[in-house]
Amino acid sequence: MQSSRAHWWFIGPALFLMVLILLMPIGIAGVMSFTNYSLGNPGADWVGLANYEKVFTRSTYQKMFGATFRYVFVVVPLSVGLGLGAALLINSTRRFGDFYKTIYFLPVMAALIAMAIVWEFALHPTIGIVNSTLEQGCGSVLESWSWFAQGCDRGFPLWLTDRDYAIWTVAFIGVWQGFGFNMVLYLAGLTSVPRELYQAAEMDGAKFAWERFRLVTWPMLGPTTVFVVTISFIRSFQVFDTVEAFYPQGGGPSKSVYVMMFAIYEKAIQQNLMGIGAAITVVFLVFVMFLTLAQRWLVEKRVHYS
Amino acid sequence: MSDLSLPANGTAAGAFSVPSFRFSATETLKHLVLILGSLIVLLPFYVMLSYSLKSPAEIMQNIGGFFGAQEAFRDDYCVKLGKDVADCMVTPAIYNYTTAFHKAPLVRYLLNGVIITASIFFIQVLVALPCAYALAKLRFWGREAVFGLVLFCLLIPVHAIALPLYIMLAKLGLTNSYAALVIPWTISVFGIFLMRQFFMTVPDDLIDAARMDGMSEFSIIWNVMLPTAVPALLAFAIFSVVAHWNDYFWPRIVITGNRDLFTPPLGLREFKGDADGDNFGPMMATATVIVAPLILAFLIAQRRFIEGITLSGMK
Repeated sequence: MQSSRAHWWFIGPALFLMVLILLMPIGIAGVMSFTNYSLGNPGADWVGLANYEKVFTRSTYQKMFGATFRYVFVVVPLSVGLGLGAALLINSTRRFGDFYKTIYFLPVMAALIAMAIVWEFALHPTIGIVNSTLEQGCGSVLESWSWFAQGCDRGFPLWLTDRDYAIWTVAFIGVWQGFGFNMVLYLAGLTSVPRELYQAAEMDGAKFAWERFRLVTWPMLGPTTVFVVTISFIRSFQVFDTVEAFYPQGGGPSKSVYVMMFAIYEKAIQQNLMGIGAAITVVFLVFVMFLTLAQRWLVEKRVHYS
Repeated sequence: MSDLSLPANGTAAGAFSVPSFRFSATETLKHLVLILGSLIVLLPFYVMLSYSLKSPAEIMQNIGGFFGAQEAFRDDYCVKLGKDVADCMVTPAIYNYTTAFHKAPLVRYLLNGVIITASIFFIQVLVALPCAYALAKLRFWGREAVFGLVLFCLLIPVHAIALPLYIMLAKLGLTNSYAALVIPWTISVFGIFLMRQFFMTVPDDLIDAARMDGMSEFSIIWNVMLPTAVPALLAFAIFSVVAHWNDYFWPRIVITGNRDLFTPPLGLREFKGDADGDNFGPMMATATVIVAPLILAFLIAQRRFIEGITLSGMK
């Protein structure tokens, strides 16, 4: 080989950028989280663990963790469950499967910020299509549902501006946006389940669809599920667009939608409190890396990169 | 949906069925559930398109069906400018879309979006392709370490380290520039990983033959490896373009105030910031214009898009 050094020219730029753009910032965030740095100040004081202490004790940040975990633990199970459900249904129908697949995938393609603004209109208490549709159900059997009767009586919820509903409404939009992605991954997973396994299960007495699902489909989809769950976790931890669109200031009614990415943005970019922002960044990175490592560990037994 | 309109009397039809056109209750139920789901999924798209066609009065009163009556209405802003009322009558759909383009430099935003997504993709390929080739096909000291680093970097979501990146760019005086929008995305470890996995499947003989012909390693990458990698590259292109056309978080951080640098999502957000009652229509028109390119491309080439977006599933 004449060009024994060619590889450094190939690896060099990528290596340089990886260190500069991905690794160095982690170090910077780590160091900065122990200071009270602000952009524009000449120096910064070392404050030790003070930032972390604030993040883990102050009520604002308790609300932040509360909102983030509420969001994540609604969006992950629902978007994975609905993704799997949609995939199984589409896979088992004889017709129009591709048609539904296309529709369910549309939200994944659309800019979330645009769709957030549209949802805000749809959920508007007076002119929104959601509440006006619900009002049309008044006087029908739906009124036997106490929640619905109450809505007809005193008006339906304000959704995004009601502190009891805000986080769940934002989470609903997260599910709306994300489950099509999971569906496609599950559909890909389903194609790799061998048909013979179903026949074998049937011969062994698995008569009902549910038994065949429990004995064949679910175990065979194991690796897909591990991946889908991880990626849903990581994506929902990073929620920002909807929150910023609905609540540009303060993170929603009584900070009930004050998620982590928004907190980083508000503290560091808007208020120039880099130390606190960096501390939240570090906590965030620990969560995300832990999740990804857990996924890799689970998958390791089956897949090897070589 | 022809098999749904069948008479609902066939609950026991499964027992003695006509193979080609049989009715079954479970099949109908499945379609009902799927259609209900579709309606919920499509709801905001319906609202967006419909509002982008309607007059302010129709939007406020929630009337006019999907298209609205398309009756001319008085543009108050135009009247305020002192023009004759008769000249200020406008058709809702036309008014909404022309306002979207005139009130804000929407064309500029779209152009910025194209410039940025294209530059990001080209730089990503320029950096990732040679690295992936070296990792897959060249033997050198430290190769395993570099690949280990790539695998580690896959753990890092770039949005999560936005804050230190922002500070680095601010220190260099690069915020509010195209560079700020592009630089953090120039390295795609995912692209490297993906291309490396793909190159592993290219037979060594092909490369050896090229070397025999006296090709340099550089021209092997661009003239031998690149053409074989086109399917993978296309999928990666879709993955990259969709992510960066729709990205809102990063532009929000590094672009402050300078409208000339706004990407489409930022432009729409700005529009929302100063929208009052009369501007709902134009705002929905803006949203439609921003969302439409990717949706249309997706509808035309669905298979490729789904492949590209779910690429990360290959990890």
